[in-house]
Amino acid sequence: MKLEPTILDLDWSEVEAKIKRFIKDYVEKSGAKGIVLGLSGGIDSCTAAAISALAIGGDKVFGLLLPEQETYNVKDVEHAKLVAEKFGFKTEMIDATSTLEAFYTSIPIFESTDKICKGNIKARVRMIYLYYYANRLSMLVCGSSDKSETMVGYFTKWGDVAADISPLMDLYKTQVRKLAQHIGVPKEIVTKPASPALWPGQLAEEELGIKYEILDLILYGLEHFMKTEEITQQLSVKKELLNKIKSRWLSMEHKRRMPLTTKIQYRTMGADFRLPRTRH
Amino acid sequence: MKEKIKIALAQISCKRGNKAENIKKVESRVTKAKQQGAELVIFPELSLTGYTMRDQIYELAETIPGHSTTVLEKLAKKTGTYIVFGMPELSEKTQATIYNAAVLVGPNGFIGKYRKMYLPTHSVFEEKRYFRPGYQTAVFETELGKIGLIICYDIFFPEVSRLTRLKGAQLIVCISASPATRRTFFETLTAARAIENTAFLAYVNLVGIEDGLQFWGGSRLVGPNGKTLVQAKYDEEDLVIDEINYADIRPTEAFVPILKDLRPELFEKLKETAEKL
Repeated sequence: MKLEPTILDLDWSEVEAKIKRFIKDYVEKSGAKGIVLGLSGGIDSCTAAAISALAIGGDKVFGLLLPEQETYNVKDVEHAKLVAEKFGFKTEMIDATSTLEAFYTSIPIFESTDKICKGNIKARVRMIYLYYYANRLSMLVCGSSDKSETMVGYFTKWGDVAADISPLMDLYKTQVRKLAQHIGVPKEIVTKPASPALWPGQLAEEELGIKYEILDLILYGLEHFMKTEEITQQLSVKKELLNKIKSRWLSMEHKRRMPLTTKIQYRTMGADFRLPRTRH
Repeated sequence: MKEKIKIALAQISCKRGNKAENIKKVESRVTKAKQQGAELVIFPELSLTGYTMRDQIYELAETIPGHSTTVLEKLAKKTGTYIVFGMPELSEKTQATIYNAAVLVGPNGFIGKYRKMYLPTHSVFEEKRYFRPGYQTAVFETELGKIGLIICYDIFFPEVSRLTRLKGAQLIVCISASPATRRTFFETLTAARAIENTAFLAYVNLVGIEDGLQFWGGSRLVGPNGKTLVQAKYDEEDLVIDEINYADIRPTEAFVPILKDLRPELFEKLKETAEKL
């Protein structure tokens, strides 16, 4: 297997069709009136919203913009509105600043310099807004996590990853960009650097310490059971970097699963209680 | 035995765990196919229950013959058709030993069953967790010719189709529940199994989405020369019908005489070598 960018190429029309079928099927079977998405103005959420609108119609898609003072970026808001207009779905904007302030001031052990803990509040507060809207409007929450970030655990547990469906989760970031281009997400959204917007100036690639173009090929190799030596050799990346990524991928499994319990009885949640999802 | 028969490939999605609804769908497709002259109507793997049933399979499995096969037998008698469908079969002798089975019923009632021999337990598949493998190929002599039954992953193992053919099957029916990522494998293997056995092959796949798995459909009837005679749509329910003529086997078999050229002594070598893999 040769790890070169073309290995991540897919038949984008087929991918689009599959994802649209998946969303439509799930929404129909669940009996929900539509889906709610958190719309940050970034590539993942814009693509998830756009393809959802293509799948079930813009009138059944609701994009929630949840900016807050600290990370507010006018460009992101413009981009969110741009994609909503192009794909014909409704949006609503809520300034989450006062809600976040309430958390910061009410938590006795709150420490503003601990930006990860503080940032996670933001991701979880966004989740609460989304689920409130979904419950109130009899809709589902559609997540926009991609495969790169999910594999390396670059997300907030029970925060941005919390959703009823995550239609992009089997596509690496660079593949999401290709899909976005294919379905007509505006170029300025496709090309801008990714950020989870948990603190000012946060950039995903800087924080991860690697470009998505390389990260995705490394993850692709790991997904396909390639040996680490072979991946480092083919991509000319340092062994330490590869080991760091591999270790992140393996150690973050706890963020991707339901909580672990210890087996006491006959059939156990998350272990051998294996039921089909016949209701959605 | 008829030389020409009309076969319907009933590519359906299933309502998981709802046998009554699935049987209703089978009834409607059989009726429709019969109106169009079909004599044999084929449904996908585990079409009685849906494919991804996990622990619920223990509640859904039935003996063969049993309640559902009786309903399907009546349908076959009423419509004068032969029907192949898939279901989880509960062993008569135990309470939780289940087979992934294909059943053939006809105008005179129950004809026979086949228990899947190769149970995929890798990637998204977990069949060995729930099913016991079958140990025998199945070929049934009917008014519509000698019909052999195989199921899905069996097609990756040429020995199953070969044995089915050597037992006399001129039509190999492969019922399937294949998700989309495996389409190219099946498209190649359905043609290969038909060619290497100079037999007709009817492949009927599931459609619909179960637990995120999208079944790709693309059911097809393949001639002994590997040519696709008729193909159902990808990814959506469909019913396609075509006629096969068993006489078409002769020119193909004379042109590429694979069965004549078989070398049974290699099978011994194959066994010895495979045991040491």
